[in-house]
Amino acid sequence: MSKSRQHDTARISRPSGEHPDSAVVLTRRTFLHKAAIYGAGAAACGLFPSLSTIDMAFAQGGPSFKFAWISDTHLYPKEVNSRFVEKTVRAVKEVQAMNPPADFLIFGGDLAQLGDPVELRLGAGLLNELKIRKVFIPGEHDWYLDMGATWNKMFGASPWTFDHKGVRFIGLDTVSHAEDFWTSRKMNAKERMGHMATLDGTLGGAWAAVGPAGLKWLSSALSGWAKDKPVVVFSHNPLYEYYPPWNFWVRDWLPVQEILAPFANVTNIHGHTHQVLYNEIGKMRSIGMLATSWPWPYAPEGVPILTRPMVRADPGDHFDGVGWSGLDMNARGRVDNEYKMWRKDVFAEAAVDSGAGDNGNQVLSPRVADRI
Amino acid sequence: MTRKKLRYLTIAAGLAALPFLPSQMQPAFAHKDKHSAAQLQAFQDAFMEQVKIGDQLFHGDPETEKKMGVKLSGTAMACAMCHPYTSDTHPQEFPKYQEQMAAFATLRDMINWCIEKPNQGEKIDPNGDAMKALEAYIYYSNRNSKLDPGRH
Repeated sequence: MSKSRQHDTARISRPSGEHPDSAVVLTRRTFLHKAAIYGAGAAACGLFPSLSTIDMAFAQGGPSFKFAWISDTHLYPKEVNSRFVEKTVRAVKEVQAMNPPADFLIFGGDLAQLGDPVELRLGAGLLNELKIRKVFIPGEHDWYLDMGATWNKMFGASPWTFDHKGVRFIGLDTVSHAEDFWTSRKMNAKERMGHMATLDGTLGGAWAAVGPAGLKWLSSALSGWAKDKPVVVFSHNPLYEYYPPWNFWVRDWLPVQEILAPFANVTNIHGHTHQVLYNEIGKMRSIGMLATSWPWPYAPEGVPILTRPMVRADPGDHFDGVGWSGLDMNARGRVDNEYKMWRKDVFAEAAVDSGAGDNGNQVLSPRVADRI
Repeated sequence: MTRKKLRYLTIAAGLAALPFLPSQMQPAFAHKDKHSAAQLQAFQDAFMEQVKIGDQLFHGDPETEKKMGVKLSGTAMACAMCHPYTSDTHPQEFPKYQEQMAAFATLRDMINWCIEKPNQGEKIDPNGDAMKALEAYIYYSNRNSKLDPGRH
């Protein structure tokens, strides 16, 4: 058994008091997820119907409301790549058409591909068509051309927090903490950005982190908040260890978890991974969001066992395997995440159709060209 | 002249002509001598040079594309953006029936399909240097995968 699988096994067999909010009513949708924990193999055998929602539960009920997530648009200048523009436009139109409307949009980072102000302005213009409140957190693609100067000026600095209808929302910066690999190599800003924009590059290292100041801020942002009241944490990267070589984590996920541990109802919603993901760490649920640009393959190892993998996308259809998310917090204190993937089926039911299950025969090695 | 004598004469003439054959025929004698460590290193270096070129092409390095006279993308997307570590390229499964092409296909066919369709680039010579380098990088990155040709 691999180390990551041992970790998963330990997690799902923890004492009941350590689970995320156990007050959740076992609905059909929740049942499907719980069943996936104990019988992941059954999913591969096609026993589960396709369903594109994930349930979470909060201990406290409150007024119902909706919010929406868009991220990872990776916009180039539109004359370079019009496809990513088309997909962003489609997501924005669909969020605008939500009925009842979303109270706000969270944009989860990587608006631009190479941090170019032209790209960031293009993105701002497209998102400006949305007439609801918008909040933003940065991605690494937005940051490393000018170290966040344009991003912060246009979209505001992170971290931030606000309370909305009984929920404390937090937006983290998980992208600005890369070790300086560029100065000693005499790289210019574009070269630095190019390396940071390469998911499987080696020079960026373990750049994803909340950072010491961010951890202190997070602690302070949660002080005084009742331990049983809902907390939703937005981050570009997942707040747990999935696959460090692609920064599918934050390197300081352990102290993050220690800060969040006293709270019974914490949900982390993240981008960066461009794929369907679900995990539970301690009492925190974590949900991975789709990109609008393109889907990443599942990492060679570490896919959380609680995840129902998404289908293999058709590379011939650039609208496949991508989309956005509508999130609904209902009056009973439960939040549904609905993946708005632009295809009929979201989840795979057989290994042959699964983005994770199809790779049992694949053994990958890291790249070599930026090392030799 | 008997048929047996004619055969001996033909073999003798063939052996006499061997030294005059073009140089590209000579690899037939490549394993006559034991390999030195330096030779083996040279073979490995020759291979890794192609892997490195393939890695650069796969990651959309404009200088390498220019040097090799290829245009792999018309969308600014590089192969590695959908296939980090060459994930999901599955070279060990080729040749196979490839659904997108509705045809029996090799890895080289699939590379060209990806260049032409999702990437909107220009198809490359299937036997050219760029294709061989891409193939070298993809195979190298998947070198511990079990051969499973035909698998969908």
